[in-house]
Amino acid sequence: MKFVCVLCDTPMKLEETVGPVEGSLSVTFACPSCAHRIALLTNPWETQLVRALDVKIGGRNTPPESWEFVRTMLAARREGALEGAGDVATPEEGAGPRCPFSAVANRAAEAASLTWDPSAEERLERVPDFIRPMARQGIERFAAERGYTRITEEVIDEVRGTLGF
Amino acid sequence: MKTYWDIVGDGGSNVAAQVEAQTARLRGRMAHVRRKVAVVSGKGGVGKSTVTANLAVALAMDGLRIGVLDADVNGPSMAKLLGVRGRSLKAGPDGILPPEGPMGIKVVSMDLLLPSDETPVAWHGPAQQESFIWRGMMEVNTLREFLADTAWGELDLLLADLPPGTDRISHLTGLLPDLTGCLVVTVPSEVSHLIVKKAVSAVRDARWAPTLGLVENMGRFTCKHCGASEAMFPGGDTRAMAAAMALPFLGSIDFDPRLAAASDRGVPFLLSHPDTPAGEALTRIARTIQAWMEAE
Repeated sequence: MKFVCVLCDTPMKLEETVGPVEGSLSVTFACPSCAHRIALLTNPWETQLVRALDVKIGGRNTPPESWEFVRTMLAARREGALEGAGDVATPEEGAGPRCPFSAVANRAAEAASLTWDPSAEERLERVPDFIRPMARQGIERFAAERGYTRITEEVIDEVRGTLGF
Repeated sequence: MKTYWDIVGDGGSNVAAQVEAQTARLRGRMAHVRRKVAVVSGKGGVGKSTVTANLAVALAMDGLRIGVLDADVNGPSMAKLLGVRGRSLKAGPDGILPPEGPMGIKVVSMDLLLPSDETPVAWHGPAQQESFIWRGMMEVNTLREFLADTAWGELDLLLADLPPGTDRISHLTGLLPDLTGCLVVTVPSEVSHLIVKKAVSAVRDARWAPTLGLVENMGRFTCKHCGASEAMFPGGDTRAMAAAMALPFLGSIDFDPRLAAASDRGVPFLLSHPDTPAGEALTRIARTIQAWMEAE
């Protein structure tokens, strides 16, 4: 898949990949000529197809470990089945650079203990679609770091300066 | 406006490069495997896995270095058949070290990773109900890792035991474009022939790999009390079917309850009963494959 800027007919470049958050990846592309930006948002099934390809959008930082895919994606594994291999985080557990999804999934798990006030949710709804997942993630991380259990409009005001919305 | 083909590169997504790296890794590993043969049928329940396990033993008994890939991700049985069930895999610097069965046969199977008899293969995913959308890709990537990341070492032959279904053959040939050939197994029933013919045609039409020949399993049954021999299935003439499809007929293996018992014990039948009609048939078929490999 490639993206071209319709405004200036220039191939766009990958700028950032965020997620998955609630099963959705947000992949932002920018035009190097006119700085126009777009975001590709995947649904959970599209995200799973990317996972099933065993690739990371934007590339990997480290080479894959042996059987990393099957160790990461298999839902149930016999204890001790594989000796001498380092732990590879599953999408539901742990964090680390080897799994493109685990870090965010872990944060998503932490965020599950946070509740959003309806008024705060309403505020978030005003954020443009393409950055809303990033905004949600940023707010939840901010709240978790401070030990908040509820996200209110006041918390959003606190975050506002940092995220710029 | 520019089209897809006007744009060089993928804008930094790097997906194509990662897929290429996966392919290169697989190719590098498989460069140490002289021959790769898939055991296929199209039809389930014809004894592909039993035939695979015993042919592996027969060839290993003749001194060949053999690996067995259980390509049936959802119904793995090779670990059981080759007596390595429950053994641990070990991570080494060159990849995952597979357990060795009889005669040093290296075995890789999904069964080695599953926690219990009852545990099906399930994947992390958004919803299992819709898993049909992505399960196939999961399975192909699992096979890719089993092939590419296992420290197979130098092998004379890698036998891949495939699940039923012609579509699964294309999964393996997609990973192994240099697959040496397919060995087709059937039982002598018209129902089995009906399906197996389709598998042979699919392999042929798609030019996935040469079809090495047809093996008939459970051809006849010999009574251990009176010695009378009779056909297990009425009607199906496998030799005639092979001739009609211009396929080499590699042999017929008798049904022998001891073969099933040996499979259940995880002790290959050929080791304990080499002098039985079924054992001799398996040895003959293995020798034919070996002769073909040497002539290649």
